[in-house]
Amino acid sequence: MEPREISSLLERIQKGDREAFMTVVRLYQQKVFVMAFSILRNKEDALDAVQETFLRLYQKSGTYRPGHNFQGWLLEIAKNISIDYYRKHQQKRREWETPRPLDEIPVAVEDRSLDSRDSDLRSAFSRCVEKLAARQKMVFVMRHYNELQFNEISDALRISVGTAKSLHWKAVQNLRKMLTPYLGMER
Amino acid sequence: MKECPMKKSDWLAYLSGDLEEGRRTTVAEHLKECPECRKEEAELRRVLEGADAVKGEIQQALREVDWDALPGRIADYVYAGAGKPEKLSAGERVRMWFLQAGLRPVAAGIALGVLLGSLGMYLALRRPETGPGGGRGYYASGEFLDRAELEMARRETVDYLEKSQYVLLDFFGTPSGQAGARPAASVAQARELLSKKKYLNRELEKFQMAKAKAICDQIEMLFLELAQLSDDLPEAELAKVRNLMQDRQLLLKISLVKKELQNGV
Repeated sequence: MEPREISSLLERIQKGDREAFMTVVRLYQQKVFVMAFSILRNKEDALDAVQETFLRLYQKSGTYRPGHNFQGWLLEIAKNISIDYYRKHQQKRREWETPRPLDEIPVAVEDRSLDSRDSDLRSAFSRCVEKLAARQKMVFVMRHYNELQFNEISDALRISVGTAKSLHWKAVQNLRKMLTPYLGMER
Repeated sequence: MKECPMKKSDWLAYLSGDLEEGRRTTVAEHLKECPECRKEEAELRRVLEGADAVKGEIQQALREVDWDALPGRIADYVYAGAGKPEKLSAGERVRMWFLQAGLRPVAAGIALGVLLGSLGMYLALRRPETGPGGGRGYYASGEFLDRAELEMARRETVDYLEKSQYVLLDFFGTPSGQAGARPAASVAQARELLSKKKYLNRELEKFQMAKAKAICDQIEMLFLELAQLSDDLPEAELAKVRNLMQDRQLLLKISLVKKELQNGV
């Protein structure tokens, strides 16, 4: 969407136009959901975070700087709300992946069915992503789950494109080290 | 051993298909020849496959959400209890207007103009630090200069009286019967002091130092007589001048006046 159209929609939201607000929600709800889900790893929690993100958008619509990357701005709000939500509801969080510790997951076992193997790989991988340093994790999530370009990531996280690429490379290298025993790789 | 041409930045761009065509061909050809890089590529691909596996989970969650109904639900929630959107203050609105991407050069130009203008106004209108002197050279008030001149006059008078004392002692301190022993240097000094007295007169009158002027006048008269005396002046004439000086207690008066001037009276 053109920045001018976004600015126009935000102006209408400020004037109380509900339809303009719903248009923005329709346009960005899935991207916000992916960001929240990749942090919270639970559908219901992610939907709560999506709702809070759009509430914050409604309240702060007057502070958006025209010409800036709107999607980056919105995803930054979503990221912050999801991290806050995660911290507040950490104890209540339901287990998204298998309860077995990472070390006990035999990912690369030949005789397992494909579905089961895929499920365990997901579990192992998401646990490893969780262990990444905060900024590496955010860049990795945005790049692979939100499928953002590096310039969009740099806008959302307020870092340079070069830093975003460097953090992404470090994230991949760290995941590689952590996953070595589970992907049948030799080191 | 041939150096490996693979760069760190190339790997992920190659694997995600973002590498430019020429570079991609070079990397692909290199991978055919280099078993180390093929191993590296295989491992990185497996890591990224793990990301794809998680993405599959996200896609599954996305499919479970009713996206058509969600905007209405969120709007109900937001409009039910959120109140009105926050309004920016006038100052913040001006700031936001200036910070718009398209207006940044204008804002920067205005800020620079204001800065340079302020600096120029400050330099042009700042209060002179050195008073009526206009900032050039040394400035002192008239009162201070008067005091300085008075002090200078005092010092010169003291100096005159002191030198006069030495000359008089030189002349008349010599024992009787040794008239010829009068040093020619003392006569020269007496003449020098006479010429100095002409300059000193102006100072004494200007600053109304009456007592000092009276004693200086007496010294002047004595020096005039001494200067006129010839070397073969009989001792009697000399004794007469000495007596005159002693009668008037000239040396004592010189000392007293000198002390008064030194004490700044």
